[in-house]
Amino acid sequence: MNSAAATPDDLIRDISGLVTLPDVYLRVNRLVEDPNSSNADIARAVGQDAAFTAKLLKLANSALYNFPASVDTVAKAVTIIGTAQVRNLALSLSVANSFAGLPNDLVSMRNFWKHSLLCALAARELCKLARRCDPDALFTAGLLHDIGELIIFNRLPEQARDALLMVLDSQEEIGVPEAEDRLLGFDHARVGAALARQWNLPATLQACIAWHHAPARAEAHGREVALIHIANSLAQLAEVDSIEPADAPAIDPAAWTAAGLDPEVVEAVVRKAQEEFGEIEKIFLGQ
Amino acid sequence: MMALVSGRTDLPPMPPPLPGFEHVRRSWNNQFQSYAARILPGEFYVTRQKEGVATTLGSCISACIRDRVTGIGGMNHFMLPATEVSDLASMKAVNLSDATRFGNYAMEHLINEIMRNGGRRQNLEVKLFGGGRIISGMTDVGLANITFVRDYLDIESLPVVAEDVGDIFPRMVMFFPATGVAKVKRLRSLHNNVILDEERRYIDSIKKQPVSGEVELF
Repeated sequence: MNSAAATPDDLIRDISGLVTLPDVYLRVNRLVEDPNSSNADIARAVGQDAAFTAKLLKLANSALYNFPASVDTVAKAVTIIGTAQVRNLALSLSVANSFAGLPNDLVSMRNFWKHSLLCALAARELCKLARRCDPDALFTAGLLHDIGELIIFNRLPEQARDALLMVLDSQEEIGVPEAEDRLLGFDHARVGAALARQWNLPATLQACIAWHHAPARAEAHGREVALIHIANSLAQLAEVDSIEPADAPAIDPAAWTAAGLDPEVVEAVVRKAQEEFGEIEKIFLGQ
Repeated sequence: MMALVSGRTDLPPMPPPLPGFEHVRRSWNNQFQSYAARILPGEFYVTRQKEGVATTLGSCISACIRDRVTGIGGMNHFMLPATEVSDLASMKAVNLSDATRFGNYAMEHLINEIMRNGGRRQNLEVKLFGGGRIISGMTDVGLANITFVRDYLDIESLPVVAEDVGDIFPRMVMFFPATGVAKVKRLRSLHNNVILDEERRYIDSIKKQPVSGEVELF
Protein backbone atom coordinates (compact mmCIF):
# COMPACT_ATOMS: atom_id res chain seq x y z
CA MET A 1 0.00 0.00 0.00
CA ASN A 2 1.58 3.24 -1.08
CA SER A 3 -0.19 5.23 1.59
CA ALA A 4 1.62 3.72 4.54
CA ALA A 5 4.60 5.99 4.16
CA ALA A 6 2.86 8.90 2.47
CA THR A 7 2.73 12.22 4.29
CA PRO A 8 0.99 15.43 3.23
CA ASP A 9 4.37 16.76 2.07
CA ASP A 10 4.95 13.63 -0.06
CA LEU A 11 1.61 14.20 -1.77
CA ILE A 12 2.46 17.84 -2.46
CA ARG A 13 5.78 16.77 -3.99
CA ASP A 14 3.93 14.23 -6.18
CA ILE A 15 1.64 16.84 -7.68
CA SER A 16 4.13 19.68 -8.10
CA GLY A 17 4.19 19.25 -11.89
CA LEU A 18 0.41 18.89 -12.19
CA VAL A 19 -0.85 21.91 -10.30
CA THR A 20 0.74 25.33 -10.28
CA LEU A 21 -0.25 28.72 -8.97
CA PRO A 22 -1.91 30.76 -11.70
CA ASP A 23 0.59 33.01 -13.54
CA VAL A 24 -1.70 36.00 -13.27
CA TYR A 25 -1.74 35.62 -9.49
CA LEU A 26 2.05 35.44 -9.34
CA ARG A 27 2.40 38.56 -11.51
CA VAL A 28 -0.16 40.58 -9.58
CA ASN A 29 1.20 39.35 -6.26
CA ARG A 30 4.72 40.52 -7.15
CA LEU A 31 3.42 43.97 -8.11
CA VAL A 32 1.21 44.37 -5.03
CA GLU A 33 4.23 43.56 -2.84
CA ASP A 34 6.41 46.02 -4.79
CA PRO A 35 6.17 49.54 -3.31
CA ASN A 36 7.29 51.05 -6.61
CA SER A 37 4.51 49.57 -8.68
CA SER A 38 1.46 51.56 -9.71
CA ASN A 39 -2.16 50.66 -10.29
CA ALA A 40 -1.42 50.96 -14.00
CA ASP A 41 1.28 48.27 -13.71
CA ILE A 42 -1.19 45.97 -11.99
CA ALA A 43 -3.87 46.65 -14.59
CA ARG A 44 -1.36 45.81 -17.32
CA ALA A 45 -0.42 42.55 -15.59
CA VAL A 46 -4.09 41.62 -15.32
CA GLY A 47 -4.69 42.54 -18.97
CA GLN A 48 -2.15 39.94 -20.11
CA ASP A 49 -4.59 37.20 -19.06
CA ALA A 50 -7.64 37.60 -21.27
CA ALA A 51 -9.67 34.88 -19.55
CA PHE A 52 -9.06 36.34 -16.11
CA THR A 53 -9.76 39.87 -17.33
CA ALA A 54 -13.14 38.84 -18.69
CA LYS A 55 -14.07 37.10 -15.45
CA LEU A 56 -12.81 39.98 -13.32
CA LEU A 57 -14.96 42.51 -15.19
CA LYS A 58 -18.03 40.27 -15.03
CA LEU A 59 -17.51 39.78 -11.32
CA ALA A 60 -16.96 43.50 -10.71
CA ASN A 61 -20.32 44.12 -12.38
CA SER A 62 -22.12 41.33 -10.57
CA ALA A 63 -24.50 41.53 -7.63
CA LEU A 64 -21.57 40.61 -5.39
CA TYR A 65 -20.15 44.14 -5.64
CA ASN A 66 -23.19 46.13 -6.57
CA PHE A 67 -21.21 49.15 -7.81
CA PRO A 68 -23.45 52.00 -8.96
CA ALA A 69 -21.59 52.52 -12.26
CA SER A 70 -20.49 49.88 -14.69
CA VAL A 71 -16.86 48.74 -14.36
CA ASP A 72 -15.78 48.47 -17.98
CA THR A 73 -11.97 48.60 -17.87
CA VAL A 74 -9.34 46.75 -15.91
CA ALA A 75 -7.90 50.06 -14.71
CA LYS A 76 -11.27 50.99 -13.27
CA ALA A 77 -11.65 47.56 -11.66
CA VAL A 78 -8.23 47.85 -10.01
CA THR A 79 -9.08 51.29 -8.68
CA ILE A 80 -12.58 50.49 -7.47
CA ILE A 81 -12.02 46.96 -6.14
CA GLY A 82 -8.54 47.64 -4.82
CA THR A 83 -5.20 46.06 -5.60
CA ALA A 84 -5.17 43.58 -2.71
CA GLN A 85 -8.64 42.40 -3.70
CA VAL A 86 -7.62 42.01 -7.34
CA ARG A 87 -4.77 39.82 -6.14
CA ASN A 88 -7.26 37.65 -4.22
CA LEU A 89 -9.50 37.40 -7.25
CA ALA A 90 -6.54 36.48 -9.48
CA LEU A 91 -6.19 33.41 -7.28
CA SER A 92 -9.93 32.74 -6.84
CA LEU A 93 -10.93 33.03 -10.46
CA SER A 94 -8.04 30.95 -11.82
CA VAL A 95 -7.76 28.20 -9.23
CA ALA A 96 -10.34 25.88 -10.80
CA ASN A 97 -8.25 25.83 -13.99
CA SER A 98 -5.14 25.14 -11.98
CA PHE A 99 -6.67 22.04 -10.44
CA ALA A 100 -8.09 20.71 -13.70
CA GLY A 101 -4.86 18.70 -13.94
CA LEU A 102 -5.89 16.65 -10.88
CA PRO A 103 -8.93 14.66 -12.00
CA ASN A 104 -10.54 12.02 -9.77
CA ASP A 105 -13.37 9.49 -9.85
CA LEU A 106 -14.94 10.37 -6.50
CA VAL A 107 -16.43 13.79 -7.04
CA SER A 108 -17.15 15.71 -10.22
CA MET A 109 -15.25 18.98 -10.51
CA ARG A 110 -18.58 20.76 -10.83
CA ASN A 111 -19.85 19.37 -7.51
CA PHE A 112 -16.51 19.98 -5.82
CA TRP A 113 -16.40 23.64 -6.85
CA LYS A 114 -20.09 24.04 -6.06
CA HIS A 115 -19.38 23.35 -2.40
CA SER A 116 -16.26 25.55 -2.46
CA LEU A 117 -18.10 28.41 -4.14
CA LEU A 118 -21.03 28.19 -1.71
CA CYS A 119 -18.50 28.25 1.13
CA ALA A 120 -16.80 31.28 -0.43
CA LEU A 121 -20.12 33.13 -0.78
CA ALA A 122 -21.19 32.22 2.76
CA ALA A 123 -17.80 33.32 4.12
CA ARG A 124 -18.01 36.61 2.26
CA GLU A 125 -21.48 37.26 3.63
CA LEU A 126 -20.55 36.26 7.20
CA CYS A 127 -17.55 38.54 6.95
CA LYS A 128 -19.71 41.49 5.90
CA LEU A 129 -21.98 40.84 8.88
CA ALA A 130 -19.05 40.42 11.27
CA ARG A 131 -17.33 43.57 9.94
CA ARG A 132 -13.65 44.33 10.50
CA CYS A 133 -12.47 41.74 8.02
CA ASP A 134 -11.78 41.53 4.31
CA PRO A 135 -14.69 39.87 2.45
CA ASP A 136 -12.58 39.19 -0.65
CA ALA A 137 -9.86 37.46 1.37
CA LEU A 138 -12.51 35.32 3.06
CA PHE A 139 -14.05 34.54 -0.34
CA THR A 140 -10.68 33.20 -1.51
CA ALA A 141 -10.25 31.19 1.70
CA GLY A 142 -13.70 29.66 1.20
CA LEU A 143 -12.84 28.67 -2.36
CA LEU A 144 -9.57 27.06 -1.35
CA HIS A 145 -10.50 25.48 1.98
CA ASP A 146 -10.94 21.93 0.60
CA ILE A 147 -8.17 21.83 -2.05
CA GLY A 148 -6.46 19.09 -0.04
CA GLU A 149 -9.42 16.87 -0.89
CA LEU A 150 -8.66 17.07 -4.63
CA ILE A 151 -5.08 16.04 -3.91
CA ILE A 152 -6.07 13.06 -1.75
CA PHE A 153 -8.76 11.97 -4.23
CA ASN A 154 -6.21 12.07 -7.07
CA ARG A 155 -3.21 10.54 -5.29
CA LEU A 156 -4.85 8.06 -2.87
CA PRO A 157 -8.15 7.19 -4.57
CA GLU A 158 -8.73 3.84 -2.84
CA GLN A 159 -8.11 5.10 0.67
CA ALA A 160 -10.21 8.17 -0.10
CA ARG A 161 -13.08 5.96 -1.23
CA ASP A 162 -12.75 3.83 1.91
CA ALA A 163 -12.90 6.99 4.00
CA LEU A 164 -16.15 8.08 2.32
CA LEU A 165 -17.55 4.56 2.81
CA MET A 166 -16.65 4.74 6.49
CA VAL A 167 -18.63 7.97 6.77
CA LEU A 168 -21.69 6.34 5.17
CA ASP A 169 -21.29 3.08 7.13
CA SER A 170 -21.28 5.05 10.37
CA GLN A 171 -24.44 6.94 9.38
CA GLU A 172 -22.25 10.05 9.45
CA GLU A 173 -21.31 9.55 13.08
CA ILE A 174 -17.78 9.67 11.69
CA GLY A 175 -17.13 12.78 9.64
CA VAL A 176 -14.97 12.98 6.52
CA PRO A 177 -11.88 14.45 8.22
CA GLU A 178 -12.02 11.90 11.03
CA ALA A 179 -12.37 9.00 8.57
CA GLU A 180 -9.39 10.30 6.57
CA ASP A 181 -7.40 10.66 9.74
CA ARG A 182 -8.11 7.04 10.73
CA LEU A 183 -7.24 5.61 7.32
CA LEU A 184 -4.43 7.89 6.19
CA GLY A 185 -3.08 9.35 9.40
CA PHE A 186 -3.97 12.87 8.24
CA ASP A 187 -6.96 14.67 6.75
CA HIS A 188 -7.55 16.89 3.71
CA ALA A 189 -7.11 20.04 5.79
CA ARG A 190 -3.50 19.10 6.52
CA VAL A 191 -2.82 18.31 2.87
CA GLY A 192 -4.35 21.61 1.78
CA ALA A 193 -2.29 23.44 4.39
CA ALA A 194 0.89 21.78 3.13
CA LEU A 195 0.13 23.02 -0.39
CA ALA A 196 -0.73 26.52 0.84
CA ARG A 197 2.59 26.61 2.69
CA GLN A 198 4.48 25.34 -0.35
CA TRP A 199 2.81 28.03 -2.46
CA ASN A 200 3.61 30.64 0.15
CA LEU A 201 0.00 31.84 0.24
CA PRO A 202 -0.90 34.58 2.74
CA ALA A 203 -0.80 33.38 6.37
CA THR A 204 -4.54 33.94 6.85
CA LEU A 205 -5.33 31.62 3.94
CA GLN A 206 -2.94 29.00 5.27
CA ALA A 207 -4.62 29.10 8.68
CA CYS A 208 -8.15 28.92 7.23
CA ILE A 209 -7.27 25.89 5.08
CA ALA A 210 -5.44 24.13 7.92
CA TRP A 211 -8.03 24.58 10.67
CA HIS A 212 -11.44 24.82 9.03
CA HIS A 213 -12.49 21.59 10.79
CA ALA A 214 -10.73 22.39 14.10
CA PRO A 215 -10.98 26.15 14.61
CA ALA A 216 -10.01 25.91 18.28
CA ARG A 217 -6.56 24.73 17.25
CA ALA A 218 -5.69 27.78 15.16
CA GLU A 219 -2.91 29.73 16.87
CA ALA A 220 -3.45 32.86 14.78
CA HIS A 221 -6.12 34.34 12.52
CA GLY A 222 -8.74 32.78 14.80
CA ARG A 223 -11.48 35.07 13.57
CA GLU A 224 -11.01 34.23 9.89
CA VAL A 225 -10.63 30.52 10.69
CA ALA A 226 -13.86 30.62 12.69
CA LEU A 227 -15.66 32.29 9.77
CA ILE A 228 -14.50 29.61 7.32
CA HIS A 229 -15.41 26.87 9.81
CA ILE A 230 -18.94 28.27 10.00
CA ALA A 231 -19.12 28.95 6.26
CA ASN A 232 -18.19 25.33 5.51
CA SER A 233 -21.21 24.05 7.42
CA LEU A 234 -23.50 26.70 5.96
CA ALA A 235 -22.33 25.76 2.45
CA GLN A 236 -23.42 22.18 3.14
CA LEU A 237 -26.81 23.45 4.32
CA ALA A 238 -27.10 25.56 1.16
CA GLU A 239 -26.27 22.53 -0.97
CA VAL A 240 -28.95 20.28 0.55
CA ASP A 241 -31.33 23.25 0.79
CA SER A 242 -31.80 23.15 4.56
CA ILE A 243 -31.49 25.64 7.39
CA GLU A 244 -31.45 22.95 10.10
CA PRO A 245 -27.97 22.95 11.65
CA ALA A 246 -28.33 19.18 12.29
CA ASP A 247 -28.16 18.62 8.52
CA ALA A 248 -24.53 19.78 8.37
CA PRO A 249 -21.38 19.12 10.41
CA ALA A 250 -21.69 20.64 13.88
CA ILE A 251 -20.42 24.19 14.26
CA ASP A 252 -18.08 24.68 17.23
CA PRO A 253 -19.99 27.11 19.52
CA ALA A 254 -16.69 28.87 20.27
CA ALA A 255 -16.42 29.71 16.57
CA TRP A 256 -19.51 31.91 16.78
CA THR A 257 -17.89 33.80 19.66
CA ALA A 258 -14.57 34.08 17.83
CA ALA A 259 -16.36 35.35 14.72
CA GLY A 260 -18.39 37.82 16.78
CA LEU A 261 -21.62 36.54 15.23
CA ASP A 262 -24.89 35.08 16.46
CA PRO A 263 -26.15 31.70 15.16
CA GLU A 264 -29.37 33.51 14.25
CA VAL A 265 -27.70 34.64 11.01
CA VAL A 266 -27.66 31.08 9.60
CA GLU A 267 -30.81 31.30 7.55
CA ALA A 268 -30.03 34.69 6.01
CA VAL A 269 -26.50 33.64 5.05
CA VAL A 270 -27.59 30.29 3.59
CA ARG A 271 -30.30 31.97 1.52
CA LYS A 272 -27.95 34.69 0.32
CA ALA A 273 -25.31 32.15 -0.77
CA GLN A 274 -27.97 30.14 -2.64
CA GLU A 275 -29.25 33.30 -4.32
CA GLU A 276 -25.82 34.50 -5.46
CA PHE A 277 -24.58 31.08 -6.52
CA GLY A 278 -26.10 30.90 -10.02
CA GLU A 279 -24.59 34.13 -11.32
CA ILE A 280 -21.21 33.62 -9.67
CA GLU A 281 -20.90 29.99 -10.79
CA LYS A 282 -21.30 31.10 -14.41
CA ILE A 283 -18.49 33.62 -14.03
CA PHE A 284 -16.34 31.26 -12.03
CA LEU A 285 -16.63 28.18 -14.24
CA GLY A 286 -16.95 30.11 -17.51
CA GLN A 287 -13.98 29.98 -19.85
CA MET B 1 -17.52 14.50 16.58
CA MET B 2 -18.76 11.24 18.00
CA ALA B 3 -16.95 8.09 17.10
CA LEU B 4 -18.35 4.83 15.87
CA VAL B 5 -17.83 2.78 18.96
CA SER B 6 -16.01 -0.48 19.00
CA GLY B 7 -14.95 -2.36 22.07
CA ARG B 8 -16.90 -0.08 24.37
CA THR B 9 -18.04 -1.90 27.46
CA ASP B 10 -20.86 0.37 28.63
CA LEU B 11 -23.22 -0.44 25.77
CA PRO B 12 -26.36 -2.56 26.14
CA PRO B 13 -26.12 -6.02 24.57
CA MET B 14 -26.96 -6.21 20.88
CA PRO B 15 -30.46 -7.66 20.43
CA PRO B 16 -30.53 -11.06 18.70
CA PRO B 17 -31.26 -10.94 14.95
CA LEU B 18 -34.13 -12.87 13.41
CA PRO B 19 -33.08 -16.09 11.66
CA GLY B 20 -31.73 -15.28 8.20
CA PHE B 21 -30.44 -11.82 9.13
CA GLU B 22 -27.31 -12.81 11.03
CA HIS B 23 -25.08 -11.60 8.18
CA VAL B 24 -26.34 -8.01 8.23
CA ARG B 25 -23.80 -5.67 9.80
CA ARG B 26 -25.04 -3.82 12.86
CA SER B 27 -23.38 -1.20 15.04
CA TRP B 28 -24.20 1.19 17.86
CA ASN B 29 -25.43 4.62 16.80
CA ASN B 30 -24.71 7.40 19.29
CA GLN B 31 -27.13 9.91 17.88
CA PHE B 32 -30.11 7.57 18.26
CA GLN B 33 -28.68 5.67 21.24
CA SER B 34 -29.60 2.44 19.52
CA TYR B 35 -28.16 -0.40 17.50
CA ALA B 36 -28.78 -0.13 13.80
CA ALA B 37 -28.38 -2.54 10.89
CA ARG B 38 -26.93 -1.10 7.69
CA ILE B 39 -28.31 -2.63 4.51
CA LEU B 40 -26.77 -2.37 1.05
CA PRO B 41 -28.52 -2.32 -2.35
CA GLY B 42 -30.34 -5.63 -2.83
CA GLU B 43 -30.48 -6.40 0.89
CA PHE B 44 -33.31 -6.18 3.43
CA TYR B 45 -33.64 -6.47 7.19
CA VAL B 46 -36.59 -7.30 9.45
CA THR B 47 -36.66 -6.98 13.23
CA ARG B 48 -38.98 -7.37 16.21
CA GLN B 49 -36.57 -5.47 18.45
CA LYS B 50 -36.12 -1.83 19.36
CA GLU B 51 -33.34 -1.26 16.85
CA GLY B 52 -32.89 0.78 13.69
CA VAL B 53 -32.37 -0.13 10.06
CA ALA B 54 -30.29 2.29 8.02
CA THR B 55 -29.22 2.71 4.43
CA THR B 56 -27.98 5.28 1.94
CA LEU B 57 -29.94 5.83 -1.25
CA GLY B 58 -29.13 7.37 -4.59
CA SER B 59 -31.68 6.47 -7.23
CA CYS B 60 -32.62 3.29 -5.34
CA ILE B 61 -35.80 2.98 -3.29
CA SER B 62 -36.25 1.85 0.29
CA ALA B 63 -39.67 0.79 1.50
CA CYS B 64 -39.96 0.87 5.30
CA ILE B 65 -42.83 -1.39 6.28
CA ARG B 66 -44.16 -2.19 9.76
CA ASP B 67 -47.09 -3.68 11.58
CA ARG B 68 -48.41 -0.63 13.41
CA VAL B 69 -49.86 -2.77 16.20
CA THR B 70 -46.97 -5.09 17.02
CA GLY B 71 -44.06 -2.98 15.77
CA ILE B 72 -42.58 -5.78 13.68
CA GLY B 73 -41.10 -4.39 10.53
CA GLY B 74 -38.13 -3.71 8.33
CA MET B 75 -36.62 -2.05 5.30
CA ASN B 76 -35.57 -3.11 1.82
CA HIS B 77 -33.33 -1.38 -0.72
CA PHE B 78 -33.72 -2.02 -4.42
CA MET B 79 -33.89 -0.63 -7.89
CA LEU B 80 -35.12 -1.86 -11.23
CA PRO B 81 -32.56 -2.73 -13.88
CA ALA B 82 -34.05 -0.05 -16.09
CA THR B 83 -31.36 0.12 -18.72
CA GLU B 84 -33.33 -2.10 -21.07
CA VAL B 85 -36.41 0.07 -20.60
CA SER B 86 -35.69 3.63 -21.59
CA ASP B 87 -38.80 5.44 -20.48
CA LEU B 88 -41.68 5.22 -18.08
CA ALA B 89 -44.30 4.29 -20.66
CA SER B 90 -42.46 1.18 -21.69
CA MET B 91 -41.67 0.48 -18.03
CA LYS B 92 -45.40 0.33 -17.33
CA ALA B 93 -46.05 -1.71 -20.45
CA VAL B 94 -43.69 -4.41 -19.26
CA ASN B 95 -44.84 -4.25 -15.65
CA LEU B 96 -44.62 -7.62 -13.91
CA SER B 97 -42.12 -8.77 -16.48
CA ASP B 98 -38.33 -8.76 -16.47
CA ALA B 99 -37.78 -5.14 -15.65
CA THR B 100 -39.90 -5.19 -12.53
CA ARG B 101 -39.31 -8.66 -11.16
CA PHE B 102 -36.49 -7.48 -8.90
CA GLY B 103 -38.76 -4.82 -7.49
CA ASN B 104 -41.53 -7.36 -6.90
CA TYR B 105 -38.99 -9.70 -5.38
CA ALA B 106 -37.68 -7.05 -2.98
CA MET B 107 -41.16 -5.93 -1.91
CA GLU B 108 -42.58 -9.44 -1.47
CA HIS B 109 -39.54 -10.69 0.39
CA LEU B 110 -39.87 -7.88 2.93
CA ILE B 111 -43.64 -8.22 3.35
CA ASN B 112 -43.52 -12.02 3.62
CA GLU B 113 -40.73 -11.91 6.19
CA ILE B 114 -42.69 -9.42 8.32
CA MET B 115 -45.77 -11.63 8.16
CA ARG B 116 -43.78 -14.78 8.88
CA ASN B 117 -42.63 -13.10 12.10
CA GLY B 118 -46.09 -12.19 13.28
CA GLY B 119 -47.02 -9.12 11.28
CA ARG B 120 -50.59 -8.92 9.98
CA ARG B 121 -51.30 -7.67 6.52
CA GLN B 122 -54.18 -5.39 7.56
CA ASN B 123 -51.88 -3.64 10.08
CA LEU B 124 -49.08 -2.85 7.64
CA GLU B 125 -48.06 0.73 6.92
CA VAL B 126 -45.36 1.95 4.55
CA LYS B 127 -42.88 4.81 4.33
CA LEU B 128 -41.01 5.39 1.06
CA PHE B 129 -37.62 6.98 0.49
CA GLY B 130 -35.13 7.52 -2.32
CA GLY B 131 -35.44 7.62 -6.07
CA GLY B 132 -33.23 10.71 -6.34
CA ARG B 133 -31.98 11.96 -9.67
CA ILE B 134 -28.39 12.20 -8.56
CA ILE B 135 -26.89 12.28 -12.04
CA SER B 136 -28.20 14.99 -14.31
CA GLY B 137 -28.86 14.33 -17.94
CA MET B 138 -29.30 10.60 -17.74
CA THR B 139 -32.53 8.60 -17.82
CA ASP B 140 -34.43 9.26 -14.62
CA VAL B 141 -33.98 5.84 -13.06
CA GLY B 142 -35.11 7.25 -9.72
CA LEU B 143 -38.48 8.26 -11.12
CA ALA B 144 -38.97 4.82 -12.70
CA ASN B 145 -38.31 3.26 -9.30
CA ILE B 146 -40.76 5.61 -7.57
CA THR B 147 -43.44 4.88 -10.15
CA PHE B 148 -42.94 1.15 -9.78
CA VAL B 149 -43.20 1.10 -5.99
CA ARG B 150 -46.25 3.37 -5.89
CA ASP B 151 -48.02 1.15 -8.43
CA TYR B 152 -47.04 -1.93 -6.46
CA LEU B 153 -48.39 -0.58 -3.16
CA ASP B 154 -51.52 0.62 -4.89
CA ILE B 155 -52.25 -2.82 -6.30
CA GLU B 156 -51.50 -4.43 -2.93
CA SER B 157 -53.63 -1.80 -1.11
CA LEU B 158 -50.87 -0.99 1.37
CA PRO B 159 -51.06 2.59 2.73
CA VAL B 160 -48.10 4.97 2.33
CA VAL B 161 -48.08 7.08 5.51
CA ALA B 162 -45.02 9.17 4.67
CA GLU B 163 -42.50 9.57 1.89
CA ASP B 164 -39.51 11.59 0.79
CA VAL B 165 -38.72 10.65 -2.79
CA GLY B 166 -37.32 12.17 -5.97
CA ASP B 167 -35.38 15.46 -6.12
CA ILE B 168 -31.64 15.52 -6.78
CA PHE B 169 -30.17 14.41 -3.45
CA PRO B 170 -28.80 11.15 -2.16
CA ARG B 171 -30.33 10.29 1.21
CA MET B 172 -29.42 8.58 4.43
CA VAL B 173 -32.41 6.88 6.06
CA MET B 174 -32.77 5.48 9.57
CA PHE B 175 -36.00 3.58 10.34
CA PHE B 176 -37.20 2.22 13.68
CA PRO B 177 -39.88 -0.42 13.03
CA ALA B 178 -40.91 -0.58 16.70
CA THR B 179 -42.03 3.07 16.74
CA GLY B 180 -42.38 3.80 13.03
CA VAL B 181 -40.02 6.75 13.34
CA ALA B 182 -38.00 7.38 10.19
CA LYS B 183 -35.25 9.99 9.94
CA VAL B 184 -34.05 11.13 6.54
CA LYS B 185 -30.98 13.21 5.91
CA ARG B 186 -30.05 14.60 2.53
CA LEU B 187 -26.42 13.96 1.68
CA ARG B 188 -24.04 16.37 -0.03
CA SER B 189 -22.91 15.55 -3.55
CA LEU B 190 -19.47 14.53 -2.26
CA HIS B 191 -21.02 11.13 -1.62
CA ASN B 192 -22.75 10.73 -5.01
CA ASN B 193 -20.16 8.61 -6.76
CA VAL B 194 -19.55 6.21 -3.87
CA ILE B 195 -23.31 5.61 -3.61
CA LEU B 196 -23.64 5.25 -7.39
CA ASP B 197 -20.88 2.66 -7.41
CA GLU B 198 -22.71 0.59 -4.78
CA GLU B 199 -25.88 0.78 -6.85
CA ARG B 200 -24.07 -0.12 -10.07
CA ARG B 201 -22.47 -3.15 -8.47
CA TYR B 202 -25.94 -4.29 -7.39
CA ILE B 203 -27.44 -3.78 -10.84
CA ASP B 204 -24.53 -5.61 -12.48
CA SER B 205 -24.99 -8.53 -10.09
CA ILE B 206 -28.71 -8.90 -10.74
CA LYS B 207 -28.28 -8.55 -14.49
CA LYS B 208 -26.05 -11.60 -14.40
CA GLN B 209 -28.88 -13.68 -12.95
CA PRO B 210 -30.88 -15.69 -15.50
CA VAL B 211 -34.15 -14.19 -16.71
CA SER B 212 -36.25 -16.80 -14.98
CA GLY B 213 -35.86 -19.64 -12.54
CA GLU B 214 -33.25 -18.32 -10.11
CA VAL B 215 -35.41 -15.62 -8.62
CA GLU B 216 -38.33 -16.99 -6.69
CA LEU B 217 -41.55 -15.12 -7.34
CA PHE B 218 -44.28 -15.20 -4.76
